[in-house]
Amino acid sequence: LYMVASCSAVPVTDLLDRASQRSDTLHSLSTTLTKELDSHFPPIGRVITPRPSMCHTSSLQTPNDKAQALQISEADLLSLVRSLLQAWIDPLVVLSSSANTLPHPAQSSIFNKIQEMQEHSKSLGDGLDILSSKMGPAAQTISFLPYRRGNDIGQDRISKLINFHFLLSCFRRDSHKIDSFLKVLRCRAAKMHPQMC
Amino acid sequence: LFFAPHAKGTRFSPPGKPELTRCRSPEKETFTCWWKPGSDGGLSTTYALYYRKENSETVYECPDYHTAGENSCFFNKNDTSIWVNYNITVVATNALGSNFSDPVDIDVVYIVKPNPPEMVTVTVMEDKGWPFLRVSWEPPHKADTRSGWITLIYELRVTLEGEDDWEMHLAGQQKLFNVFSLRSGGRYHVQVRCKPDHGFWSEWSSTSEIKVPDYFHREKSVWIL
Repeated sequence: LYMVASCSAVPVTDLLDRASQRSDTLHSLSTTLTKELDSHFPPIGRVITPRPSMCHTSSLQTPNDKAQALQISEADLLSLVRSLLQAWIDPLVVLSSSANTLPHPAQSSIFNKIQEMQEHSKSLGDGLDILSSKMGPAAQTISFLPYRRGNDIGQDRISKLINFHFLLSCFRRDSHKIDSFLKVLRCRAAKMHPQMC
Repeated sequence: LFFAPHAKGTRFSPPGKPELTRCRSPEKETFTCWWKPGSDGGLSTTYALYYRKENSETVYECPDYHTAGENSCFFNKNDTSIWVNYNITVVATNALGSNFSDPVDIDVVYIVKPNPPEMVTVTVMEDKGWPFLRVSWEPPHKADTRSGWITLIYELRVTLEGEDDWEMHLAGQQKLFNVFSLRSGGRYHVQVRCKPDHGFWSEWSSTSEIKVPDYFHREKSVWIL
C-alpha cells in the first residue's frame, strides 16, 4: 500500500523526466551498437539489406516533422510511444538470443548491450504504464504491431549479420521516435518550469 | 595525319565525378547538403542534385540551390521529413556528357549539428571579496528547445590571455555557469558550444573577453608582510 501511495505521489513532470532519461539512454545504446556492427559489416550488406519500410513497425502512422508532432495531443503521443515500445518486446528477445551466436568479433559486448537495452525498455514501459493510467483512456490505447519473422535470424554468416543489422537499424529509428516524443511531452508538462526546456 | 596540330584536342572531356561531401541539419527541421565538383573537362559544367525519399519511386530535383551558397542544396521545412531516408545523387553535365556522384543515404535525425550558442555574456561577480565569472548564454535561435523538439547540452571553455590551454566545463542543460579561481588582474577569454541530445557538437561561439579586477593586494598582501 505504501508503494502504491508513493508511486502515485510522483508528479507527472518527474515521471516524464525519468522516462526521457531512460529513452535517451536506450537510443544512445542503439547508436553505439550500430557503430560497433558497422565496423564489421559485409560489403554485400549495403546492397541486400531490406528497406526501412520492411520494419515491422513501419505501418504505424507517426509524425514526420516538428509541425506534425507538435499538433498531436499528449495522450496520443504517449499512445504512440507505448505502441512502439510494446512492438519491440519480442524482437528484442530475438536480438538477444541471436547475439549469442553472432559471427562478430565484438559478440559479447553486443550481447551485453542488447541485454541493457531490454532492461531499459522494460523499466521505461513500466514507468509509462503508470503515466498513462494518469492520463486517461486515450493514452492507454495501444496499436498492436506483431513481429512475424520468428526467432531465427538467419542460417549463414552473411544473412545473420545482415538481418541483425537491419533489425537493429529499425530499433534505432523507433527508439529515436520514442525519445523525441517523450522529450516533447516532458516540455509540455514542464510549462510551469520553463528553465527546463 | 594532316590534323596533327590538333592532337591535343583531348583537353575537353566529360565532367569528372562530383562528390557529396556533407549534409547537416542545424535544428532537426531543415537541412543542407554540399558537394565537391570534379573536373569540369574544360567546358562549362552544370550541377544538379536529385533525391528520392524512402517508400517513393518519385525522383525530385533540389528545391533550392541558392540559400546555402555555392555547390549546395537547401531543404526547407516543407521539404524536410525526419525518420525517412533520402537517397541523394549529384549529376554534373557538360557538352560532352554527364557524371554521377556516389549516392548517399541520409536520415535527417542523424545529421543534426546546431549553430553555436548566442548572446554569450560574461560578468565579474564577487563572493566574500573573491571575484568569479558568471557566464550566461542563449540557445541558437533556430533551435526550438522550448517545445522539446531539440534538447541541448552546453560546454564552455575559459583561458587566461597569453596561455595556450583551455579549461573545459560541462554545463549540462543549464544556460548559466560560474567560473572560480581567477587570477587577479587577468584577462579571460570565454567560448560556449552546444550539442543536441543525439547529434554533433556545434562550433564554438565567438570569444567573449573580460578583465578580472586586481584584488590580491587589498587583503592578502597584508598577510604576506
